[in-house]
Amino acid sequence: MNLNIDAVKAQTFDAIVIGSGISGGWAAKELTEKGLKVLMLDKGKQLEHVSGYENAMKNPWDTMYNGRLTVAQKESHPKLARDYPYNENTEKYWMNDSDSMYQEEKRFDWFRPDIVGGKSIMWGRQSYRLSDIDFEANLKEGIAVDWPIRYKDIAPWYSYVEKFAGISGEKLGLPQLPDSDFLPAMDMYCVEKEVKKKIAEHFPGRIMTIGRVANLSEAQKAQTGVGRSGCQYRNKCSLGCPYGAYFSTQSATLPAAMKTGKLTVRPDSVVKEIMYDENKNRATGVRVIDTNTLEVVEFYAKIVFVNGSTLGSTSVLLNSTSNRFPNGMGNDSGELGHNLMDHHFKIGASGEWEGGKDNYYFGRRANGIYVPRYRNIGNDKRDYVRGFGYQGGGSRAGWNQGSDAKAFGADMKEALTKPGPWRMGLSGFGECLPYHENRMYLHKTEKDKWGLPIVVFDAEFKENEAKMRIDMQNDAAEMLEKAGMKNVRSYDNKSYPGMAIHEMGTARMGRDPKTSVLNGNNQLHSVPNVFVTDGAAMTSASCVNPSLTYMALTARAADFAVREMKKKNI
Amino acid sequence: MNRRELIQRVTFMLGGVMAAPLMAGAMGEVLNSEPGLVADDLQERLLAEVADIIIPATSTPGAKEAGAHNFIIRVVRDCFTKDEQKKFYDGLGKLNDDSKSKFGKGFVDLTLPQKNEMIEDATVYNKDFFREMKNLTITGYFTSEIGATQALAYDPIPGRFDGCTTLEKGQKAWAL
Repeated sequence: MNLNIDAVKAQTFDAIVIGSGISGGWAAKELTEKGLKVLMLDKGKQLEHVSGYENAMKNPWDTMYNGRLTVAQKESHPKLARDYPYNENTEKYWMNDSDSMYQEEKRFDWFRPDIVGGKSIMWGRQSYRLSDIDFEANLKEGIAVDWPIRYKDIAPWYSYVEKFAGISGEKLGLPQLPDSDFLPAMDMYCVEKEVKKKIAEHFPGRIMTIGRVANLSEAQKAQTGVGRSGCQYRNKCSLGCPYGAYFSTQSATLPAAMKTGKLTVRPDSVVKEIMYDENKNRATGVRVIDTNTLEVVEFYAKIVFVNGSTLGSTSVLLNSTSNRFPNGMGNDSGELGHNLMDHHFKIGASGEWEGGKDNYYFGRRANGIYVPRYRNIGNDKRDYVRGFGYQGGGSRAGWNQGSDAKAFGADMKEALTKPGPWRMGLSGFGECLPYHENRMYLHKTEKDKWGLPIVVFDAEFKENEAKMRIDMQNDAAEMLEKAGMKNVRSYDNKSYPGMAIHEMGTARMGRDPKTSVLNGNNQLHSVPNVFVTDGAAMTSASCVNPSLTYMALTARAADFAVREMKKKNI
Repeated sequence: MNRRELIQRVTFMLGGVMAAPLMAGAMGEVLNSEPGLVADDLQERLLAEVADIIIPATSTPGAKEAGAHNFIIRVVRDCFTKDEQKKFYDGLGKLNDDSKSKFGKGFVDLTLPQKNEMIEDATVYNKDFFREMKNLTITGYFTSEIGATQALAYDPIPGRFDGCTTLEKGQKAWAL
């Protein structure tokens, strides 16, 4: 090492946060607000709030193909082009397939962002708390390992992050879906109100509620204070919101962290590994590859927060080998990379409503409806474990309502300029069990363009998920039929791991260092100054959208870490 | 057959249809990477005239004035595979040839009733082309500035949401 002392000092921080997405942004905010000097790294490009959202204010006629992908894009992105999140208007936000090389022993759709802010820019924003039914499930059923925390441990942190992020929703008082600290609920479409009423009439125990979403139905001081304003109901969230009306790193946690004057953000920085001092049993910092210059740079810190998204975080740990950790940092248990989960979905039903012809709507709600889990709750017992919830919603078709196959001309034109039929859809999101054999690992020889080993996926949904899907499909159709919808069609469009972009597990929390990677504070059992607080930490998947839980776990772990630093424990 | 079976059967059929386009991308099917077909002058005029029969001027301008054909040319050039492009322009050529056989003139030079008759014929004898052309015309028109703001109601920044309003007499569908 021939770095001089000044240079080392310039590269030294109190904390390094790897990744700038939902959890990384929270880590940066919490740690800087507690007085730490923080470096936040992201492999992606800089994306400036508002000015960086190039397509956000475009009219449809300003786009080339109305969202379609070109043949060239499909060729350069054979994997990303498999599904809708990658399209004409979001192209720049995602990594090129050629940069994001990975192998599939079994099909896995890996959506990797290429921007500061990560998937917090493109996320679906649905935000739900886990409950003790989730936290206790593994223990009660003898599956995988027990979560080291219970609802009471995380509940105050849910409240804490919700008040800042801003979650709109309706209080229900359900044990399986605890209420958040809500902003006002958004309205339902006429057809949704009808279906909600009929579900309540016909299906005791099933409830349809408005989606719980990280969009500001009414901006509070906590949000206006960082420059955010209320939702404009444009429903263009995934392009980036010029109003800062949904929670993202750029709209919320980044401005809060920048305000402290203690944050440095370094885009274009791929983390190669976390450096480790065997004598002190501490991580000493990170080794980074600059994606522009390919130069290797080292940064040093007292603590490291790993928030590179589930698969990114675990890749970094697996690649951080040493004499002490030949199989990856913190991997004494051998569980690192295992227990990979995602929600299974793309299944449900839809139908048309013949009522409501004299009704319409105003505005475009960036939110759907939600039917909380009701299977295997209370006295309900199925031939599978866990359960699912439904997302979905109503709509009234416009010019895309379709017409008779042979129709053309003035009559067809006039018909398409009038509102079409109301439609209603329910789409299930099911829990996937944490199977040890479902895993990602690093390829022994294949390297990506930065010389880092590429990821290989070997994960699949199994029998429990397959059985659950029968209910997911049939229940949806049954509810819509009872609700009086016509032409009800159910579907199963097949779901592969990764598609829901709710990848979880691979560095699970647990009580026993022999069977888990992280403890109840998201701290590596074996390296006390390294924390992993993104989806990698999840011990089980629940069936609800997970990001809100990452926020709460991150704020909680940051609080713990700083207290430990003050006690000189780390 | 009980209801559950019925639902599953329906799904099975629907699932087959819906999975096909998804799997085309999923299988990483080999597509073309050379530059796509650009419409020549005649093809461009043909596309504009055909589009204007599918969506004619009424109390609001039609597809030609809205420039729907420019959208169509772009999408076919950049988003269609080589085979799809060829098939599309072959269909357009067939329409023009059929016009010549039937009326002794190319499509562009036909009278309005003759043009309508030719498109009527195309719904039967040039079905694939008609379907593709109609879909592209509808999208091109209603996402054009004229289509979105004149034929439909355009409000890029609603600012509030009301999920259940009273539909006013003559109220147009939302463009977005």
